[in-house]
Amino acid sequence: MSTDVLDLKEEKKSEALFSKKNRQLLSNPLDSDNPVTVQILGICSALAVTVQMKPAIYMAFGLTFVTAFSNLFISMIRNSIPSRIRIIVQLAVVSLWVILVDELLRAYAFDVSKQLSVFVGLIITNCIVMGRLEAYAMANKPWPSFLDGVGNGLGYSAILLILATVRELFGQGSIMKGTPLEVHPFEAMNLPFTGNGVLMMPAGACILIGLLIWAQRARNGYREEA
Amino acid sequence: MQRSNLYILIYTIVLTVVCGVVLAVTKQLLAPAQKMQIELDRKKNILLTFMELKESDDPLKIYSSRVKEYVINFEGEKVEGNAGDINVEKQSKKPKKERLLPVYEISSINDSSKTEFYVIQTWGKGLWDVISSFVSVRSDGNTINGVVFNHKAETPGLGARIKDDPNVYKRYKGKTIFEGDQLVSVEMKKGEGKDYSDKPHEIDGMSGATLTGKGVNAMLLEYTECYQKFLLKRREMYKMAAH
Amino acid sequence: MENLVNIGIKSIFIDNMIFAYFLGMCSFLAVSKKVSTAIGLGIAVVFVLGFTVPLNWLVQHFFLNEGAMAWVSASFKDVDLSFLSFIIFISVIAAFTQLTEMGVEKLSPPLYASLGIFLPLIAVNCSILGGALFMLQRPYTFGEATVFGFGSGIGWMLAIVSFAAIREKLKYSNVPKPLRGLGLAFLIVGLMSFAFQTFLGISF
Repeated sequence: MSTDVLDLKEEKKSEALFSKKNRQLLSNPLDSDNPVTVQILGICSALAVTVQMKPAIYMAFGLTFVTAFSNLFISMIRNSIPSRIRIIVQLAVVSLWVILVDELLRAYAFDVSKQLSVFVGLIITNCIVMGRLEAYAMANKPWPSFLDGVGNGLGYSAILLILATVRELFGQGSIMKGTPLEVHPFEAMNLPFTGNGVLMMPAGACILIGLLIWAQRARNGYREEA
Repeated sequence: MQRSNLYILIYTIVLTVVCGVVLAVTKQLLAPAQKMQIELDRKKNILLTFMELKESDDPLKIYSSRVKEYVINFEGEKVEGNAGDINVEKQSKKPKKERLLPVYEISSINDSSKTEFYVIQTWGKGLWDVISSFVSVRSDGNTINGVVFNHKAETPGLGARIKDDPNVYKRYKGKTIFEGDQLVSVEMKKGEGKDYSDKPHEIDGMSGATLTGKGVNAMLLEYTECYQKFLLKRREMYKMAAH
Repeated sequence: MENLVNIGIKSIFIDNMIFAYFLGMCSFLAVSKKVSTAIGLGIAVVFVLGFTVPLNWLVQHFFLNEGAMAWVSASFKDVDLSFLSFIIFISVIAAFTQLTEMGVEKLSPPLYASLGIFLPLIAVNCSILGGALFMLQRPYTFGEATVFGFGSGIGWMLAIVSFAAIREKLKYSNVPKPLRGLGLAFLIVGLMSFAFQTFLGISF
């Protein structure tokens, strides 16, 4: 975040589109306001799709896409939405984007779509999407809302990737399995490696995310009374 | 904002129509690509029962040069129809004798007039999910050459062992379906780690997945029964040719 | 019958919505500080899952599947609306929770006070839509889908109530400050999930 301050002057003169406030919309969710570890949103899928990096990447991309465009769209029509049917209108818009993502995956990334199965559909009820719509898009202009969506999507993606990397590397001993970038670091270094079943289990992800939150809070000094 | 009921009603209708139209258009646009993907997946699975596919291979090309598809009935006679159009799930709801069964005949790579394998297709409903498979049987109509299972896994990446563990597939290789003229199929046993290499109809189980194993056994037995007459005829043909 | 019992057991213990799939985690973590509220939310989830899964099954099998609308008229024989599943399912769920909330409010104010507040929250609970989507993937009959719906709900309730009970006791322990709250909650869910893995393989 320190870089934000550095090039603040330049940005302000040239382009209001990426003003400091707007850039913070993008960068805050990555760490201090992370949707998963701080706002406690969208955990369900973060645990289930992180066994390997490939599905995690697609999932991260899908969610960022859905959050960003739902935010944009809802923000554009926010003044016309009757408050009584607000939730259902939001759900309809979100499902629209999710179905688009799902159909695209089916057409162009069939194996990933098979792997992710119901979890693409579950983006609809992913709390990040609904949470950001309610908390941000309903009260802000389209462009900042879009950035807010992208930012939160990226924050979610960051957690997803960290979890997936650790789980795949120490659970299966590979990185990016199933893609052209596939490597097996342990084999390459001639180290003996047997898979670690605990990390492959959903419970392993849970413990990992707990430790991650612990580490992040120890660093940022965030406290919760429990 | 409080709005009138009429406004809400119109709003809902407009939203529904817009969503419906957008989705219907996308579906129409993407349907051909999706169909191709499913087709490709099916053909790949058929090929995987008897060969390994490398990155550089073009599955569609290999498929069209080596695979001949046709449909048979319970009596083992060829009937009209397109193997790719047979919905195995729907067929499985009919009584065994009325089912239409797809057969994929694989010709030898050196001599295209000689048949090397017959691939049969199975579908089974386990307690929890659907398991389906392709099984390639050698030209003797008896020996299993390879299997490919398909199992809808719900935890991405974790998958079910039956689908993802190549060792499980290998256990089926060389096992036989018939004992004399008697159909016995191949049974996955409970527990793991025993040696079944001298037992032609039994294979080692998967620890912790006994139920899946049971489902697979039931499915294989059901479908070897369906294909029984077809396979027995191939066996006769094979014996004749050997003489 | 045996099949139904097995599906029930499996959906409650083995494929528990929380401990095997982590569906509905958001409200699971947010509403589990007290056992009494956890029970309230738990009952609401059992109710909603138990009714929306079979309801969505009917919708899927009589409207959305390919050829499912043949009962309306023969000309609809080739209509395949399955791409609308997501949007229809979520609408059914939202409408169901909304109607139940209104019904409970009219009929029984005390019940509304304890349960009704959770109903709107449930429409966006992943486990409800998750239940419907799992049902879609598995070739259930109507009866099996109903058992699965209720079983999953009961499993979810079991999870949240036992988790809340553990959390209540945590007040008395000295936890490192950065770990308090969310961090520790995850570790506990992880450990409970390990415990639930021991149910694997149970059947009749």
